[in-house]
Amino acid sequence: METDVLIIGAGPAGLNSAYEIASNGVQTVIVDESFFPGGQLKQQTQYFNNLPRQFEAQRGITLAETLANRLHSLPVTMLHKHTMIGVYKDGSIGVSNGESTFPIKAKKVIVTTGAAEETCLFPGWTLPGVMTVGAAQILMNRERVLPGKNAIILGCNSFSQEVAQQLKDCGVNILGIIEKNTSLGRESRERLHSDIPLLLNSYITRAMGRGEVEKVFINHNGSEQEWRADLICIGNGLSPILEPFEILDCSFTNKEKLGGLLPGYDSNFKTENSSVYVAGNAAGITCMGGVLLTAEIAAADVLRHLGVLNREDAARQTTYLWKELLRIETQTDSEVFYARVASIQEFHEKNNIPLPTSFHAILEEC
Amino acid sequence: MNKHYDIVIIGSGVIGSSIAYHLSERKEKDILVVDKGFPLSGTSGSTQAWVWVHNKTPSWYGELSMYSAELYPFLGKKIGDVEYKRTGGIAPFFNESEREKALKLAEAQAEVGIKVEVLNREQVLEKEPALSPSIAGATYSDIDGNVNPFRLVELYIKAAQKNHVQFAFYNPVLDIKKEKGLFKIFTKKEEPVTAEKVIIAGGPWTKEIGEMLGVHIPVKQVRGQIIVTEPLAPFLTHTIGGMRQAENGEVLIGYSKEEVGYDRRTTLDVIQETASMAENYVPALARANVVRSFAGIRVIPEDGFPIVGTIPGVHNAFIATMHSGITLSPLIGTLMSELLMEGETSIDLGRLSLRRFMKASEKV
Repeated sequence: METDVLIIGAGPAGLNSAYEIASNGVQTVIVDESFFPGGQLKQQTQYFNNLPRQFEAQRGITLAETLANRLHSLPVTMLHKHTMIGVYKDGSIGVSNGESTFPIKAKKVIVTTGAAEETCLFPGWTLPGVMTVGAAQILMNRERVLPGKNAIILGCNSFSQEVAQQLKDCGVNILGIIEKNTSLGRESRERLHSDIPLLLNSYITRAMGRGEVEKVFINHNGSEQEWRADLICIGNGLSPILEPFEILDCSFTNKEKLGGLLPGYDSNFKTENSSVYVAGNAAGITCMGGVLLTAEIAAADVLRHLGVLNREDAARQTTYLWKELLRIETQTDSEVFYARVASIQEFHEKNNIPLPTSFHAILEEC
Repeated sequence: MNKHYDIVIIGSGVIGSSIAYHLSERKEKDILVVDKGFPLSGTSGSTQAWVWVHNKTPSWYGELSMYSAELYPFLGKKIGDVEYKRTGGIAPFFNESEREKALKLAEAQAEVGIKVEVLNREQVLEKEPALSPSIAGATYSDIDGNVNPFRLVELYIKAAQKNHVQFAFYNPVLDIKKEKGLFKIFTKKEEPVTAEKVIIAGGPWTKEIGEMLGVHIPVKQVRGQIIVTEPLAPFLTHTIGGMRQAENGEVLIGYSKEEVGYDRRTTLDVIQETASMAENYVPALARANVVRSFAGIRVIPEDGFPIVGTIPGVHNAFIATMHSGITLSPLIGTLMSELLMEGETSIDLGRLSLRRFMKASEKV
C-alpha cells in the first residue's frame, strides 16, 4: 500500500491531523489497533472545555464522533484492527492485522500513539480489584460494568478525581483519595469535592484478600489504618508510548513535566527522523486542547513539505497554532508548556537547526 | 598522582568479565575493568547464548570450543548457577547431498574427541518430534547446550568484585598513551589511570580501541536479528540450528547476518525471513505469535577465528576478541589469566595470535 501520509493511532491527535491533511486533498491512511476510532475518548464522558476555537466544549465520547465524522467524505483510509509492528529496510511501515503483515509506503508518518497509564506497586497489587483509573473508566463507561462497590483511589490528579466522581455518580462508594504528597496542585485543589474524602501524606502499604481485594492497609500521616474495600484505582499519571519511535530511529529526551521519556522534536513536531512527526500525548502529556493543537502544528508542516502549503502560509498558520497552544496549555498547566518549549530549544541546539523566527515570538511570551 | 592498577581490562562483556574473574581468583593483582556502557547492554546481552561445539570447524577450533564447554559445569560451581544446560545440539540438513559433508565432519571431529552423530530423518524426529519431516537428517552431539547470558555475565562480575576487582561503567575509554613503560588510560568520567598491563576486550569496539594503541585489529561488526515468540508449552528439548526454547517457554530464533555497522535496529524484511525459515525447521511455529525482536552486533574477526594473546609490538598489551564469546568465555578467561600471571598458557595460543593478520614487515 502507498499513501502520502500515514498516521499511527486514531485517537484525537491522529484524527485531527488526518482532517487537517486530508481536507487538503492529500491521501491519508490511519492505522489503529482498535475496531473504532477515537482512542481513549470512547470512554471519556467528561466535558472538555478548553479546546481549540473551532471546537465547542463537549464530552469526550461526542468529540470522538465529531473528529471521526469529519473524515467521511475525505481521502482517508481507516485501517481498524491493524497494528504497526515494525519497519522494513526501505523505510516502509510494517502493519499487521494478526493474519497478515504488509508494508505501507508513506512520504510522511505522523505517530499519534498517545500515552499509557503508569501503575504503582504495593504488596497485593496483582489482586483482582486493583486497576488503573483508566481501566475503571473503560469498564464503567464502555463495557457498562461497575468495577466494584467500595473504592479507594490512589493518587490525586485531575484524571483520577474525574474518574472518582464518575464512579460515585454510578453509585460506587468512594472511601477516599489517597495522595502521597502533602499538598495539591492548583487544578486538583479547584476540583476538590467535599463529599469525596482526601487523605494527603498517605500511601497504600498493602492490599489483602482471598481471590480479590478485601482489605487495604493505608499509611496516613505515619500511622496505619485498615479499610474494607473491593476496588483500588491507581491514578499515577501517564507516560508517552515510545515503541514506534524506537523502531523509527528517533532520538529521545527526558522531561518529567511531560511524562518522562519522550521523542525529541523540533518546533514543527518533526522528530530526528525527518519523515516522522509526533503529536498528541506521545509528544508529552498534555490537556485535550494540547493534544488537538500539536496535531495541527505537525499537519501544517507535513502539508508544507508535500508542497500543499507554501512557506508563508505554513508559517502564518503555525504561528497562530503556537499562540493557541500557549493560551490553552498555560491555562491548564503552564509548566507543561514551558517544558515543551525547553525540549524544543534543546532539540534545535543539539541538531544545530536554527529556531524559526516565528518561534521567537512564542519564546518572548513565555 | 594517577590511580595505578596492575591490569586494566577494557570491556565488561562476557569476555572482559570472564578474564577479570579468572585473574582475580588469585587475588594478587589490582584490576580495573572499564566499560563504555553497562554490562549486557551490548553484544553479550543480545544473543541466543548457545554453548555450541559440534560443527565448529576446523577441528582445532571445535576442540577449543569443547574444552570451554567442559569448563561450564565447574564454572557454575565456582561463581553460581549460570543456568548452563547441556541440551544436545541438532544441526539439521534438508538435502541428501549434505549427508556426505556431515559424515566428514563427524570423522574430523572424532579425531579431537568431539562425538558427532549423523542422524537420518527418523532418528532426528525421534529426538525432536517437532522438527519438520522435510528434514533429510542432522548432525547431532551431546556436548552442545546453552546458558543464561544475563546470569553468566552478572555472576562473573559479582565473583570478580568479591575478589576486589574494580568496575567503572558508563565510562568510555577515550585514549591510551604509553608513558615510562606504563599505559595511561584516559576515560570520559574519571581522571586518567595508569596500568602496567592492558587487555582489550571491547567486542564490537575492538577496532577503535586497537587504534588508540596504533594497532590494526581486523574485526567486523555483523548484525544478527532475533525474534522471540510468546511463551509456549515446552516442546523443543534441544538446541537446534538457529533456535532454542528458553526456560520460560519463549522460542528464540535467529539466522541473519548483515554488515551494517553498529545499527541495532530490527527490520521487518529479516524478521519475516527469519519467521519463515523457522517454519521450515519447526512447522508448529507457524501458529506461534512473535512478541518481540531484537538485534545484536556480533564481533567477527576477519577470518572468523578468535584473536587472543599478546599484541605484537606493544609490550604488555593483550587482546581477546572473538565471535562465540559465550561458548569460549570460561576457556579464554582461564588462558588469559595464565598468560598474564605466568607468561605462558596450558593450551598453545599461537594459532589465535593477532600476528597472523600482520604483514611480514610488521611482525616484530
